[in-house]
Formats: sequence, C-alpha cells, structure tokens
Amino acid sequence: MAKRRSAFIYFIKNWAIFLLPLLVTIGFLYFMLFWTMYVSFSDWRGTAPNYKFVGFKWYKLMFSMDRFWTDFKNNIKWLLIGVLPTLFAALLIAYLLELSGSKKWEAYIRTLILYPSAMSFVVTGTIWSWMYQPDRGVINTIFDVMGLHMLKGRFITNPETATYWLILIFIWQFLGLAVIIFQSSFRSSELQSIVESALVDGASRMRILFQIIVPNIRGGILILASLLLISALKVFDIVYIVTFGGPGYSTDVLAFFMFIATFQQHLVSLGAGLSMIIFLMAFVIVVPYTIYAFRRWFA
Amino acid sequence: MIKNRRIQWIFFTVVLILSVIYLLPIYVMLVTSLKTPYEITQRLYLIPSLKPQFSNYVQAFKRIYPSLINSIIIASTVTGLATFFGGLGGYYLSRSRTRFSKVLFILVGITLYLPYQAVLIPLVQIAAKTGMALTHWGMIFSYSILNIPLASVLMGTFFFSIPRELEEAAEADGASKPQIFFRIVSPLSLPGYASTAILIFTQVWNEFLLALCLSTPETTTVQVKLAEIKGSFVALYNIQMAAALIGVIVPLLLFLLLGRYFIRGILAGALKG
Repeated sequence: MAKRRSAFIYFIKNWAIFLLPLLVTIGFLYFMLFWTMYVSFSDWRGTAPNYKFVGFKWYKLMFSMDRFWTDFKNNIKWLLIGVLPTLFAALLIAYLLELSGSKKWEAYIRTLILYPSAMSFVVTGTIWSWMYQPDRGVINTIFDVMGLHMLKGRFITNPETATYWLILIFIWQFLGLAVIIFQSSFRSSELQSIVESALVDGASRMRILFQIIVPNIRGGILILASLLLISALKVFDIVYIVTFGGPGYSTDVLAFFMFIATFQQHLVSLGAGLSMIIFLMAFVIVVPYTIYAFRRWFA
Repeated sequence: MIKNRRIQWIFFTVVLILSVIYLLPIYVMLVTSLKTPYEITQRLYLIPSLKPQFSNYVQAFKRIYPSLINSIIIASTVTGLATFFGGLGGYYLSRSRTRFSKVLFILVGITLYLPYQAVLIPLVQIAAKTGMALTHWGMIFSYSILNIPLASVLMGTFFFSIPRELEEAAEADGASKPQIFFRIVSPLSLPGYASTAILIFTQVWNEFLLALCLSTPETTTVQVKLAEIKGSFVALYNIQMAAALIGVIVPLLLFLLLGRYFIRGILAGALKG
C-alpha cells in the first residue's frame, strides 16, 4: 500500500505539470462534443437555448430534406474527386522530381506548388472566383484573346458542374503538400536500396513506381489520404467565398448547411445534427489514421 | 544533369504546366491590385498597368488595418499557448508507455483533426455566456483548445528524436522530470518548437469558420474582413486583390523565410518527424 502510494506521489510530482493541461483540453473537447450531441436531440430553435429532449425529431427532418442529400452527395464528390486525383498527381510529380535528380529545379517546384498552402481558402477563393467569372473573368478572357472560344466555360455558374470547379481550387491548394509528403516517404533507406536493386535487374520506371514504391509507402499514403480526406470534408470557406452554396444549393456541402442552419436560420438543433453527421464521417476517416499513428508511436 | 532524354522532356513539360497553373493566379492578382478600375474594365488582365496605383494598397490597408492587428494578437497568443502546453503534453505522450498514456493518445488522435463544427455551438455559447466574445479571449480560448492536441502530437514527434541518454544521465543525478524537460529537452527542441509554432500560427491566421461565428466588429480577423470586402466590393477587383495580398503577406513571409521549418512541421504532422 505504502509502495503504491509513493509511486503515485512520484507520478504526480513528475508528470502532473505535463499531463494537466492536456487532460483539461481533451476533457473539454469531449465535453463540448457531447454537448453538441445533446443539442441535436433537443428542441432548440431561435436564439435562446432550449434543451428539452425530443429524440430524433430533427434528424428525421434532416433526412427528409432534399438539401441534406444534395449536400451529402456533394461531400462524397469532394472526398473522391478532391483526394484521389490529388494523390495520383502528387505521386507522379514527386517521382518525377526524384528521377530528375536536379536540386535546383526541385527547389523551384517545391516553392512553386507549396506557396498556396500558406494562404487561406478565403484568399484562394477570392482569386479563383475571379479567374472563373464567366463574363469578364480571367480564364474566359484569355481563351477569347487566344481565339479558343470553344474552351470557354460557365464554370461556377453551371449548377451541374460548379462543385467540380470548386474542388479544383482545393486540389490546387493541396497538391504541394501532398508532393512533399510523398517525397519524404520515398527517402527511407530500405526503399532506396530496393529500388536500386530493381534498377539493376532492369525493371522499367513505371513498374518500379507501382509495384515496388507504392506498396512500400502504404503508411505514408494512409496518412496523406487521411489528411486530405479530413480537409475535403471540412471544406466550408471555399463554398462560402466562391458560390455561397449556389446556384440554388447546387454547391452546398454539409459544413456550409450547418453554418446556415445554425447561425442564419437559427435551427440550432438541426445544425447540431448536421455537425454530428460531419463528425461521424470524420471519425470513420480518422480511426485508421489513429490506429496507424498509435502503432508507430508506441512501437 | 538529367540523364534520360525522355524523362528530361517530360520533366520540363510538367515544370512548364505547373508554372503556368501556379504563377498565373498570383501574377494576375499582383497586376490587378495595381490597376485603376477603368484599366480593369479593358480586360487586359495579363498586361501590367502603365501607371501602377500604389494608392490601392493604401486604401486596402486602411480598411483591413484593425483586423490585421486583431489577427496578430489572436494568432500569436494562441501560438504561444498551444506550443507551450502542447510541448508539455507531447513530452508526456512521448515518454510514458503506460496503459493510461495509450488511452490518452487514442483520445488525442481522434481530436487531432476534429471538424470545428462538432464543437462550434458550445464554443459560441461559452464565449457569449462568459463575455469572452466581446474581447480577443473568446477566439484565443477556442483556438487554443482546438490546437493543443495537434501541438502535442507534433512536439511529441520532435521529442522522439532527442537522445534518451541525456535524460537518463540527468535522472541519475536526481533531476525531476520537469527539470529535465525545461533544462535539457526544451532547449534542444527549439527547431521543433519553431516548426510547430509556424504551423499553428498559419492555421489560426487562415481560419475562417470559427472567426466568422465568434468575431464582433471589435475583434474581426483578417479572413473575415477579406470575405466582407469581397462581398461588398463586387466590382472593385483592384481593392479586393490588394487587400488579399496584404492579408497573405504575414504567412507567406513566414513560409518563404522559414520554409524549412514550415515543411518540417507538415512532415511531423504526417508523423514523419
């Protein structure tokens, strides 16, 4: 008993100062998460909180809304089209940089494609909404001058395709980040020696990439894919700045609807329900990431 | 330098395409920010103005100056708090191998990239009820809480690379963990602190959703102000672009001058410390 007690005192003396801030933070975050969850089961609309429990009332409403399903589909588009092409393009660019072996050009390319990750979506959204502007925008004007009228597009004003043009902004902004993460994955010493021996055996470069490198950097791909998926899921700023969900609600996403429902329509319980859906989607993405990180951390 | 002719050819094609895609927007932005409204209506977007209007920047700066100050106050305070507490938490997570620390790591991992929506309604309520919303503290508190988990994991990955022998020697001499941390580990981890700080500063500076929901006219951040300018100056692209450029100068300078730390931070975030 005395031994256990002194071990406890040793622990407090040595670790309390490290542990306390983190515990308070984590406790607080989970407390707020459950708070949001409770709000989603209560009957809060208007500005004053109302915590009367009403069960799934707002979820039922949510699932019956066209807007919710449009948003959900748009979110899936963001997840697929925002992430897969980015991964693929970044993989090829990173590999090309490795093959070129030119330090000077590599430094140039890295700076070139990484600078957008220091900028906010508000700023990139501002630039691109002007690039995309159909009548007087930069892209259409350039096509006009070059005589390429058939390439002119309606971009963000066409409800059918507007979301894809928004996703392109996301890809533009995250490509650099993906490239440097791939490059650092390539540079483990075991991988380098496997690639060298494959080169000696006369394997083609594309085969080396897809049959040797890719299977060996699965961990890096998992981490990168999770980062991109979470960022694509959380996207709010681009939609707010460039289209405000329009035309109609064709470019709306759950994160944007949550904002509108909570802070403009004051249907707070509906907003909380949407938050929970976003959280659950994020949770599914984050679990494999956390397990992988856990294994590496406590290896 | 590049041996294979075909790869050389592909490489420079890719360099060219990427250059256009990545330089065109920023170039157009820069050129437009110096034009008169009349010049913009001529739609010669790629041609620089004959008489650059630096007064656009003065005008834009006047509009966003108060919000720049707010963002500097908020982002630097959060950066200080989150890296400090993140350093403490990260040290515990990187040194303890108990079952408790494993459970804690999982809990931290889930909140690492928590969508802000999941805690937005409570945060707004707390800030309003406590009166923090009226000052910078509402946002400082919220951003700190949200960034400490990430800062802990980032700092933890950096602490792994500190040789354990130093700490063992100090412990044999009777030093306590806090002494070891503050006297030995922290000074050796300054590059790690720099990377974490830059990453968190940029993230807070660029954050929009929470700032939009929590800011009052006195505490408006740069991003909220830029969104407002974009909304209200629909036609005046020159002012919009000048304001946006002023708004990105701080993080862009951090990136260009301290790019190495920036990249190390990103890689640590990808658990590649």
